[in-house]
Amino acid sequence: MSQELQEALNLAGDAVTTDSDGTVRLVGSECGDCNKNVFPPTAVCPECMSENLAPIKLSAEGKLYSWSVVHAAPKGWNLPFIAAYVDLPEEVRVFAHIVDVDPDSLEMEMPVVARIAALGTEESGAPFESYAFTPVQKGNS
Amino acid sequence: MRDVAIVGAGMVPFGKYQEKTLADIAWPAVKQAVEDAGIKKTDIEATYCGTALGGMMAGQRILKKLGITGLPIINIENACSSSSTAFREAWITVAAGVYDAVLVIGVEKLTKFGGGTLPLEKEDWEVSHGLVMPALYAMRARRYMHEYGLTENDIADVSVKARKHGVWNEDAQFRKEVTREEVLASRPVADPLKLFHCCPSGDGAAAVVICSAEKAKQYSASPIRVIGSEINSGKYMTGYRDMTSPEITLRGAKELYEEAGIGPEDVDLAEVHDAFAIAELLYYEALGFCAKGDAAKLLADGETSVGGKIPVNPSGGLLSKGHPIGSTGVAQIVEIVRQLRGQCGQRQVEGAKVGLTHCTGGGVSGFDHGVCSIHLFAR
Repeated sequence: MSQELQEALNLAGDAVTTDSDGTVRLVGSECGDCNKNVFPPTAVCPECMSENLAPIKLSAEGKLYSWSVVHAAPKGWNLPFIAAYVDLPEEVRVFAHIVDVDPDSLEMEMPVVARIAALGTEESGAPFESYAFTPVQKGNS
Repeated sequence: MRDVAIVGAGMVPFGKYQEKTLADIAWPAVKQAVEDAGIKKTDIEATYCGTALGGMMAGQRILKKLGITGLPIINIENACSSSSTAFREAWITVAAGVYDAVLVIGVEKLTKFGGGTLPLEKEDWEVSHGLVMPALYAMRARRYMHEYGLTENDIADVSVKARKHGVWNEDAQFRKEVTREEVLASRPVADPLKLFHCCPSGDGAAAVVICSAEKAKQYSASPIRVIGSEINSGKYMTGYRDMTSPEITLRGAKELYEEAGIGPEDVDLAEVHDAFAIAELLYYEALGFCAKGDAAKLLADGETSVGGKIPVNPSGGLLSKGHPIGSTGVAQIVEIVRQLRGQCGQRQVEGAKVGLTHCTGGGVSGFDHGVCSIHLFAR
């Protein structure tokens, strides 16, 4: 993952985690005072300004709110890619790429699951990896 | 607060001026506004200059060309709303009695970035994850299509109308009509949005001179009154939000109509922020020109074309006129001034008495838009 993205996500290696069974989970912040959930992780609650926040593992599965097949983007991204908003059950909406799917098969509200995917190429030529979502396979959910 | 009026307006045709500096793009617009006002340059007491990407001291760089110096020059960045914000700030100073005459400039040179999508702030996590403005609007479009049965033809027809109006505007970047088929056949940018659904990148500048209403009479026989001024930031929402409903515009319009004591039915024409074709449809609804879900019908019925009930973007809008982002807010105001004065030739909205400008600025995760500024004007 690029330095820029790590900084923007405030990742420090802990905004995406993989469970022992291989399930990829995003990690947000939960406010200990007002219970608001936020992604990416933050040091201060945007609802009540409390700094009493703890990491919260978000659900691996969410629902597709909307998407677009993007053909024009800054250098480095694998084009075209599918940009999307995914709603997680913890009342968090996440911007994400949708991968490994024919865009014509996407449907509103369809269940999607988190995974790690190569989304582009670093300036060094190395693949650029981050979290993404893919439709839940029938019989695999 | 005192009443405020616009006494001078100027702009340069929007286009590609790669070989010119920002200052050289802008000074003719400023000179035109000052001469239109018939004001002595020494009577201008302050200047507010809006630019998003023009770099430091844009106002000073422009005004030294014309020798309008030694006065407060305030440079303002607020994304695509930079110069509508500058106008709002200038209006406050005149309304409050701090100054009697103030110059407002909007300027941008986007060709220096060499084309492509607008460069956004990479510290934002969505941006650093690949979000570009067309994709954001495309996701709004897809959701609206899903919820309200909007079709790709409906969205294309926004561009068709914009291009038709642009033919009549000598300051517009695009002056050629397009058909629905041509829009749909243009190259994909962010599905369902095609190239002709997107405003062009380019350069430009616009300027206005404002005065206290009392002082305005000495400069202009037909000053254009500012009857409402509104600005807001978006509400930060980390959770679910309805992307078919532009919350900041809805909220801003409601506050503005209350402040001005009029309603959407009293507005004769509007210049709205149609950076992408879907946006104009969302704004018909948010500004109260039609009910939720009825935008496509309002367009199809011709009500938002010149000659209709509420012409929207008679200038051609951002889709035809172009969108050098920091210039847009003031350029919209220039169009309304000219319309209310009856100077617009073939695109003239006959009998126009009240005009509205609406300018948003976006590209920050968790917001519908980062900023929105709406103004109402009357002759």
